[in-house]
Amino acid sequence: MTKINFSRNLNRRDFLKLGGGLLGAASGSILLSKALLKPEEVVKAERVGLPMRGSDPARAAQLPADRHFVATDGWCYLPPNTAVASPYHPDDMAPPPFNTYMFGFRDLTPIASLANFLELQNAQKMKCQTCAPMWWLDEEVDVTLRLTNLGLQLRPDLVDSHTLHFHGFRNAIPIFDGEPHSSVGVPIIRDLTYFYRPHNAGTYMYHCHFEETEHMHMGMTGPVFIRPLQNRGLMRDPVTGLLVASPIPAGKYAYNDGVVATDPMSTAYDREYVMTLTELWSFAHWCDSHIQLPEWTDFKPDFWLLNGRSYPQTVLEPGQGTNTVTGELIAPVGHPELQYQPISSLVTANPGDRVLLRFINLTFLDQTMTIAGIPMRVVGKDAVLLRGRDGTDQTYWTNTIAIDPGETVDAIFTAPPYQGPGPYDTYLLYNRNLTRLNNNGAAGMGGHATEIRVYPASAPANTLAPQVDANDWPEFLA
Amino acid sequence: MNRLKKLQRISTVMNVCLLLVLVVVALGGDAEPVVATHFVPPTGLYCATSPSASFTLTTKTGYVTLPDGNQVFMWGFSEGERPFQHPSQTLCVTEGDTVTIVLHNTLDQDVSIIFPGMDDVVANGAPTQPQFDATGAMTSLTNVAPANGGLVTYTFTASQPGTYLYESGTETTKQINMGLYGALVVRPLGHPDWAYNDPATQFNPGNEYLMLISDIDPNLHTAVEHGQTYDMNTFTPRYFLYNGRAFPDTIYPNEVPFLPNQPYSSLAIIKPHDPNQFLADGITTNPGYYPYPALMRYLNVMAVDTAHHPHGNHARIIAQDAAPLTGPAGQDLTFEKFLIAVGPGQTVDALWDWNDVDHWRPANPATGDPGNPIPVTIPQLQNMTFGPFYSGSAYLGNLSTLPVGTQALNQCGEYYHIAHSHSIHLINAWGMVMGGQITFTRIDPPEGCPQ
Repeated sequence: MTKINFSRNLNRRDFLKLGGGLLGAASGSILLSKALLKPEEVVKAERVGLPMRGSDPARAAQLPADRHFVATDGWCYLPPNTAVASPYHPDDMAPPPFNTYMFGFRDLTPIASLANFLELQNAQKMKCQTCAPMWWLDEEVDVTLRLTNLGLQLRPDLVDSHTLHFHGFRNAIPIFDGEPHSSVGVPIIRDLTYFYRPHNAGTYMYHCHFEETEHMHMGMTGPVFIRPLQNRGLMRDPVTGLLVASPIPAGKYAYNDGVVATDPMSTAYDREYVMTLTELWSFAHWCDSHIQLPEWTDFKPDFWLLNGRSYPQTVLEPGQGTNTVTGELIAPVGHPELQYQPISSLVTANPGDRVLLRFINLTFLDQTMTIAGIPMRVVGKDAVLLRGRDGTDQTYWTNTIAIDPGETVDAIFTAPPYQGPGPYDTYLLYNRNLTRLNNNGAAGMGGHATEIRVYPASAPANTLAPQVDANDWPEFLA
Repeated sequence: MNRLKKLQRISTVMNVCLLLVLVVVALGGDAEPVVATHFVPPTGLYCATSPSASFTLTTKTGYVTLPDGNQVFMWGFSEGERPFQHPSQTLCVTEGDTVTIVLHNTLDQDVSIIFPGMDDVVANGAPTQPQFDATGAMTSLTNVAPANGGLVTYTFTASQPGTYLYESGTETTKQINMGLYGALVVRPLGHPDWAYNDPATQFNPGNEYLMLISDIDPNLHTAVEHGQTYDMNTFTPRYFLYNGRAFPDTIYPNEVPFLPNQPYSSLAIIKPHDPNQFLADGITTNPGYYPYPALMRYLNVMAVDTAHHPHGNHARIIAQDAAPLTGPAGQDLTFEKFLIAVGPGQTVDALWDWNDVDHWRPANPATGDPGNPIPVTIPQLQNMTFGPFYSGSAYLGNLSTLPVGTQALNQCGEYYHIAHSHSIHLINAWGMVMGGQITFTRIDPPEGCPQ
C-alpha cells in the first residue's frame, strides 16, 4: 500500500476499498485486466521501461556503487505444522518447495561487475532473500549503496516505493536516512544511491521504511555492522581528529576499545556470528499474497526466525553464494527449499575461541536470548561500547540477553573446553520466551534457537580453521 | 479521515504555531485566577507551576479524538478550573518544595493519587496507607478522595530532581487506563536548565520535551462510559499515543484548537549542535551557536515496554526513574542508545542533539565556492517519490524544486527525522496505518528558519 502518493493510478486495494465489481466494470476494467489477470505482462512492461534510465543525465553520471541492492518480493520456506490444518500456512499460492510469501532485498554486489548485470538484476524480481542480506562497512571508509526497486511480482497492483533505512546511523541527513516522510522513496524500476560515511563502529540494522509495518513485517529487514578503525591498526587522534596509527595491533575487535587483545577489557574476538531476530505472522503474509490487509493491532506472530530461518534449519549450512550465469542464489547442498534463506546461524568454535555474537532485534516484541552453559560478556549496545565518558567500564557478564525491538547487543563468550565424547559439544542458544520456541505451534523445538558447537582441539592444533566471514557465509564480500 | 485530509491539517501547523504565540502574548495578563499559571510555548514541555507548589487536581471526563476519526471517553486530572484534558495536567515543582496536591473527586467512585518515587507522602496530615474494606480486601493503594465530591490533600517533599509519573492508586487498572495519570517534573534548585544537579545534564531550556507514552483499548472506555463490565483479560489496545495524541496529531502545536482536550505536542524543534559562540574571527557572534542538547523526558504508562527509536542520532540516557546514572564515586554510568526502552511505569531522561558532522553544502557557481556536495547524484524528480517534509534538497537550509502537486510542508530547508516506536505494529491505529506512536524532530538551519 502506498504511503503518500497523490498521483497514483487506481490499484487493486483502492478498487477493493471502493467496494466492488460494479465500479470495476464501469471504470477499472482495463487496469484490472492487466493487473489482476496478467501479472507477467506487467513485468515485461516494466522492463520495457528500463531505457528511461538513460534519459536521466543525473543517473548516467552516477559512478559505480560499492553495493548493489534490489528490493522485490519472493518466497521462502518455513517448517509447517502438519498436525493442525492452517488456512494461512503453507500458503496455497506458493510454488513448491516454498510455502511463505515475502518482501525483501537482494545483494547483487557479487555480480555487479558482469557485462549483463542489468539483465541479471531484472531477473531477480520475485527472488528476494530472507532475512535481508548481511553487509558491513569499515569505519571511516565511504560506501555507496545503490537500491533498485524491481517491484512486487505477485502484487503488481501495489505501486509501493522502497527505501533503505540504516537504523542507528548517527547524525544522518534525511536524504540518506530512508524515511520517506522526510525525504524520498525509490519507485518501481528506479534506483537511488545512498551514501554512508561511517564514523561509529558497532552493530546496526537496516530495513525499508516505506509502509514500514507491512514492508518490515513482510521481510525487508536485515543486519549491517561497522568494523572499527582498530581492526586496521588505526585510531582517531584525540586532538586533531585525523586518522593515525594505533598502538593496538590490527585484528578483529568489536569496538575501538584501545586495549590489547589480552586485556580483560578487550573486545577482540576470533569468530563472529550475527543473530538477526525476526518473526512472522503467517496470516499477514497470506494476506499480502491474497490481496488482503491484516489488522496490525491484532499482531500475533507464529514463526520466529534467526537470520531468516527457524530451528532446526538455523543450524543447516549456508547457501552457496550467487550464480554468475543466472544471478540466482545457490541453495545449500540438499536443501532447495532454503535457496532464498542462505544465512546459517550455526556457531562453531575451537575451545578457547572468543566468539562475538551480534544480536539484532528486528521483531516487534521483546526477546530474551539465552545460552545454557556459557557466560557472555555484554560489551556493546546500539553500536556503542559500554564505557562511560570517564572510562568507567559498563560491560557486564550474563547468560541472558534481554533485547528490545530495534535494539542491538554485542556479547562475547569464550568457548569452553571440549568434554566429549562426540565429535563436538553442543550448547543451545535460544529464546527464553518459551512461546517463541516452536514453528506455528507444532510440537518439538523450533523458532528462535540455534546451536553452538565446540570442537575438540584448541590452539595451536585447532580443529576449525580461522573464520573468514561472519556466520561462515561463503560469499560475504567487502 | 483520509491521509490527504490529515496532511492538509498538518500544513496548518506552522501557521497555528505563530497564531498561538500571538494568542499567548495577547492573553498573557488574562490567565484564569488560579494559583497555578500556564505559559504555552508552540511545542515542548509546559506545565502548571505554583509559587507555593500547591495544586488542585479535579477529576474531569471528556473525549479524545483519534486519527481514524474515533472519539474515546476518558477521565483526567485537570488543574484548578481548567477543563478536561488528556493526558492529565503536567506539574512542575522545584527540588526541596513541599508539594501540596488537593484531589477533588467528581466521579461516582473513590479516586486517589500515588506518586511513585516520592517518599513519605502524607494524606490529610497522616502518612498515606493502603486502604482495606471490612473484609480485609484492599480497596486502594493509598488514601482516597471519596466518590461524588470528596477531597483529599496529599503533601510530600520533592527532595530529588527528575521525571515522575503520578497516577491513580485506586482500581488502578481501570482508572489509569481511563486517563488518571500525568507527569510531575522536579527541577534542580537554582538550575532550572539542568535535568539533575550535574552540569553535564544542562539542556537548552527551550528544548525540553515530554514524551508520555500510552495506549487505549476502546472497549474498556466504552464499557466504563456506559456502566458496563469489562474483563481485563480481554485487554487489547488499539490506539498508541505520545502525550495523548496519535500521529499525525502528535506533531501539531501545544493547545491546537482542533484538539481541544489533547493539549500536548510531541514535535521537537532543535538546531544543529554548535559549541562555538563566535565565528572564526573570534569577535562576530555565531548565529548558529547552539551548545546544549534537548532534554527528553520519557514516561511509559502502558503495560508493556516501549521501544522508542529517534532517527538521526543516539540519545544519551542520563537517568532512570528520576535517579541520575552516576556511580557512588561519581562514575559516569550514562550511555548512548538508538533504542530507548522504558518499562511499564518507568521514566527515562535523555539528552539528544544532532551534529552536522560532514558539513555537506552545495557548490555555488556564482561565487566559485566548490562547497562540499554529497558524493552521489540525486535522481531527477520523475524518478523519485516524495515525502511531505522533504525540502527538495539534500542540504540543510536549502529549498529546491518538487514536482507539481507534491504536498510540500518544508519551510526553509529544515531537516526532519521521525521518532517512533520500534514495536512497529504500535505505529498504527485501529484499521489505519501510520496513526500511532510516531512523532518528528525538526532540525532548523543554524541561522534559524525565517517565518
